[in-house]
Amino acid sequence: MIKILLFADLQEKVGKPELELKLEQITVEELKSELQKIYPLINLESVMTAVNEEYAMADDAIKSGDTVAFIPPVSGG
Amino acid sequence: MVDRYSRQMLFKPIGEDGQLKILNKHVLILGCGALGSANAENLARAGVGKLTLIDRDYVELSNLQRQQLYTEKDVHEQVPKAIAAKKRLLEINREVNIDAYVLDATPISLVPLLNDIDIVIDATDNFDTRLMMNDLLQKYQIPWIFGSCVGSTGMSYTILPKETPCLGCLLDRAPMSGATCDSVGIISPAVQMVVAHQTTEALKLLVEDKDSLRTNLVTFDLWNNYYHTMNVERAKKENCPTCGENPSFPHFSGEVSTKSEVLCGRNTVQIRTGRKVNLQELANRLQYVAPININDFLLSLEYESYRLVFFHDGRTLIHGTNSIEKAKTIYYQLAG
Repeated sequence: MIKILLFADLQEKVGKPELELKLEQITVEELKSELQKIYPLINLESVMTAVNEEYAMADDAIKSGDTVAFIPPVSGG
Repeated sequence: MVDRYSRQMLFKPIGEDGQLKILNKHVLILGCGALGSANAENLARAGVGKLTLIDRDYVELSNLQRQQLYTEKDVHEQVPKAIAAKKRLLEINREVNIDAYVLDATPISLVPLLNDIDIVIDATDNFDTRLMMNDLLQKYQIPWIFGSCVGSTGMSYTILPKETPCLGCLLDRAPMSGATCDSVGIISPAVQMVVAHQTTEALKLLVEDKDSLRTNLVTFDLWNNYYHTMNVERAKKENCPTCGENPSFPHFSGEVSTKSEVLCGRNTVQIRTGRKVNLQELANRLQYVAPININDFLLSLEYESYRLVFFHDGRTLIHGTNSIEKAKTIYYQLAG
């Protein structure tokens, strides 16, 4: 089980702040494209990804039990 | 001094030594909107020696809900934000030396203002300017504190040249970023929360307490009750064009910088970002702002007294003004 935290407008588009996916192992990039298939409205191209509160790169592996956060940069000020 | 700053000096990590340092430091605040106003007020009250304020815009009624230095009188008189901010800050603390500049932040306009600046606070409203700053401040080796907010959310991160990952390391590509304050709104506590992080980091830098700096990127949502920190140490890229071994400073040198020009005789300004734009995505975001017209080639909408036309190739025409400053303000309000 992989826990996914959605921030800012991602949360709004998916309709909930958290998701759980039954997966054993997947890369960051693969997880993004999986989610994009399920939720075509969301755009994960320029979001930052944290795995267990640590910055993650596209080909980093995510394992069952990990918590993934997708953080869209907001621009206002 | 003793009385005025006594409560701050009683705070052990600052103390009398720290206060003396604060009184002799120079902070540049880029942008005098919500983040800029609140950071400037905090630092003026804290007794910072000198503030340089930069903003291209003037005060409007919709600013007053969150931009704490401004008044209805400033709206009525259409006072430039940097000027209105300086006036109010001097009422709060006339011992602070304040330089206010009404100008558009570009490498050319900023470089002469960087002399003796100790830190820069990011109070801009778009990533084009932030990535330009990221290059500029890396080149001139000035620490800066990124901050941004929208809705009930915000983020902040402290960047030390040559030490921490830079903003470019964290962003794989420049976000044609979703939400802006003008498309999905903003509540003032989100501003205050970002500012609380930015001013605290600024104070740590001003008293030279580097060990206490927050090294992670913080993201929060006050309405939905989360606070998330991300350790970013491993994000630093050796080949980063900004902070890597052979930097080319692409956003500073003009390689990918935004270009704006007035189209003669048309009362129109063209802005070119050099980034492809997904028009359908933009339409989804702006649908609550104004009625959208979209076809295979362009998206257009009426906003206030202006008409904006966005093209796929990253060009935008802003009809109804000959002012590049005004056009950029409108553009970033909508496109982010």
